[in-house]
Amino acid sequence: MELIFSLIVNGLMLGSLYAMVSVGLTLIFGITKVINFAHGEFMMIGMMLTYIITTYLGIHPYLTLVFIVPLLFVLGILVQKYLIEPLRNSDEHVQIFATVGLSIAMINLVLMIAGSDNFNTPSSGMRHTLDLGLATVLTGQVVIMLCSIFMVGGLHLFLTRTQMGRAIRATAQNRNAAQLMGINVSRINMVTFGIGIACVGIAAVLLSPLYPVNAQTGQSFVLIAFVIVVMGGLGSITGAFFAALIIGLVDSFTGFYLGSSLKGVAVFGIFLMILIFRPSGLFGKARKLAHVS
Amino acid sequence: MKYNHKFRRTVISSVVATALLGGVSASAFAEVKFGALYPLSGGLALLGEESYRGLELAVEQINANGGVQGETVVLEIGDAVDNNQAIGEARRLISREDVKAIFGTFASSRSIAASQVAEMSKVPYFELGAVADDVTERGLSYVFRTNPTAYHMAETIIDMLVDGIAPELGVDPTELRIGIIHEDSNYGSSVAKHQRAFAEEKGLNIVMEEHYPASSVDMSSIVLSLQDKDVDVVLQTSYQDDSVLFLRQANERDYRPKAIIGGGGGYSMTPTAEAVGHDVIDGVYDADFTQYNINPEFAPGIEDFVASYEEKYNESPRSGHSLINYTGALGLLRAIDAGSGFSADEIKEAVLAMDVPVGETAAGIGLKIGENNQNERASMMGMQWQDGELVTVYPEEASVADMRTSQ
Repeated sequence: MELIFSLIVNGLMLGSLYAMVSVGLTLIFGITKVINFAHGEFMMIGMMLTYIITTYLGIHPYLTLVFIVPLLFVLGILVQKYLIEPLRNSDEHVQIFATVGLSIAMINLVLMIAGSDNFNTPSSGMRHTLDLGLATVLTGQVVIMLCSIFMVGGLHLFLTRTQMGRAIRATAQNRNAAQLMGINVSRINMVTFGIGIACVGIAAVLLSPLYPVNAQTGQSFVLIAFVIVVMGGLGSITGAFFAALIIGLVDSFTGFYLGSSLKGVAVFGIFLMILIFRPSGLFGKARKLAHVS
Repeated sequence: MKYNHKFRRTVISSVVATALLGGVSASAFAEVKFGALYPLSGGLALLGEESYRGLELAVEQINANGGVQGETVVLEIGDAVDNNQAIGEARRLISREDVKAIFGTFASSRSIAASQVAEMSKVPYFELGAVADDVTERGLSYVFRTNPTAYHMAETIIDMLVDGIAPELGVDPTELRIGIIHEDSNYGSSVAKHQRAFAEEKGLNIVMEEHYPASSVDMSSIVLSLQDKDVDVVLQTSYQDDSVLFLRQANERDYRPKAIIGGGGGYSMTPTAEAVGHDVIDGVYDADFTQYNINPEFAPGIEDFVASYEEKYNESPRSGHSLINYTGALGLLRAIDAGSGFSADEIKEAVLAMDVPVGETAAGIGLKIGENNQNERASMMGMQWQDGELVTVYPEEASVADMRTSQ
């Protein structure tokens, strides 16, 4: 019993961590229709900055949110404006290659400046274990869990209750119609991209006390994030959240009962099943107009 | 017009090429060129460069003592960023720079790719630091390796467990429940394969074996499995990230096996210990290339090596890679010096005659090319983290401290 409980708790903690990383990706994917292969690298940059700011200023890593989130928001806007937007009318593959290129460039830039070393942000109490009786968790994991819920809830409210949110959803549903209604689509795309990158910035800061960062770190998280985004239904934020929890649980249980080597088989097996039987994702509604753009 | 242009370019480049070739053959007088092929940029650059420094120091020492066969050794550097570039650079070193032999490479995959090129061009290839079995198990006749390999790593780990740790714990080694965990690339898998073979030979009880991708972000299910199966001794072969992750998560779940023995890379590095916390890593064992806290009587020359390293690079050696490359290169260059020329077969003959007993090099290993052109006197050292330092504890004659068990 204790064991099962431990596995469930581990799974949920890991799942909420994946959720944090995936939320921004699904937002960008669903609304600007850009598959952002550099998503993990933005996270890596965020983690590197957290490390630098924390060690130089000697402040708690969470305080770096104040710098990093706006910075990544602006970075996201710039990337959308100067890299993705000019390619709007080219083939989709060109956009994909642009983000792949961006990812490679970012990794190598960091390798050039910082080398391939690992950098450890001080754990600042976030690796403190909490005994839940039947299982133990880290304080940092609990923070991630809570923040992922707030983030998903907050984004949901933003998209449904604000003027900007409505404009973003309108753009996602039908780009041309939105434009005809007077929405500045390219501005919406920039803001969306910025928000998506800012979200991964939050993830980066919260992950930093728990994981060392090196130039390749983004790569370890982003592949799973793509699975989650597809599983949750492209562009569905709550979908991504629940998909992430499911993947976390699958990871935890298969890791224990089938062995770590088969984790990937289980996760990507589920991914293939979903692509075959429910291509719109577990939680995605088949929005027919979504692809008219 | 177009053709004219092309023609002119061809003429110019062939003139330049001839000039260059002329320059090379003129300056080759009293100099012998060897290639140094390492990953010097990209993801493996740190340890690639560390390895190269060992070769560079060996060459400087040889040149200071009159060079090889009276000729000054010149190193021509190739950067093996990835496998394709390793091949390209090996070709360049051989055909354009006309090197007599290539030294390298640190990374096994680069070594396997580049040595194939050298073999085909009949240029001797000396591997000083890559550990994968396949480097020397492909039946190539001009590829030699001086450093210990995955096989030796497993051998040291099992021997240290049976002859050192188990007696220290006061238990019969066959009663210990052993768990093998390893990252799933060629490196982790081949060490684990040898560990299994050696363990079976000694009648040990392996109760669990699991592999995982090195990029894993969570290993709590592995820790739970180890706890569930009551594993007493964990053998992990890993890179840095996964070593840190495992040690942290084991500690956080309060999993305290009787011994953790790490293999290589991640476990030997100070940044790993700092990331995990020195109090957590204290007592953890490790098998790897010779490191610097070793009995100098067993590793004569290690103090001079460290001194000249610090003088040249203004810092302490960052890992044992420079030392193992230095040791292999120095032995090989001395052997070539005793030979009778620089043709592939003359070099091969000279190197096969190399005969240095164990305990007479700066890394403590002996040098004698045996089956498959692998150094049969290579071995790894057993170490333990004690009070913030990685000290050699096995074998006895190399050790500087006693093993500590927390019983």
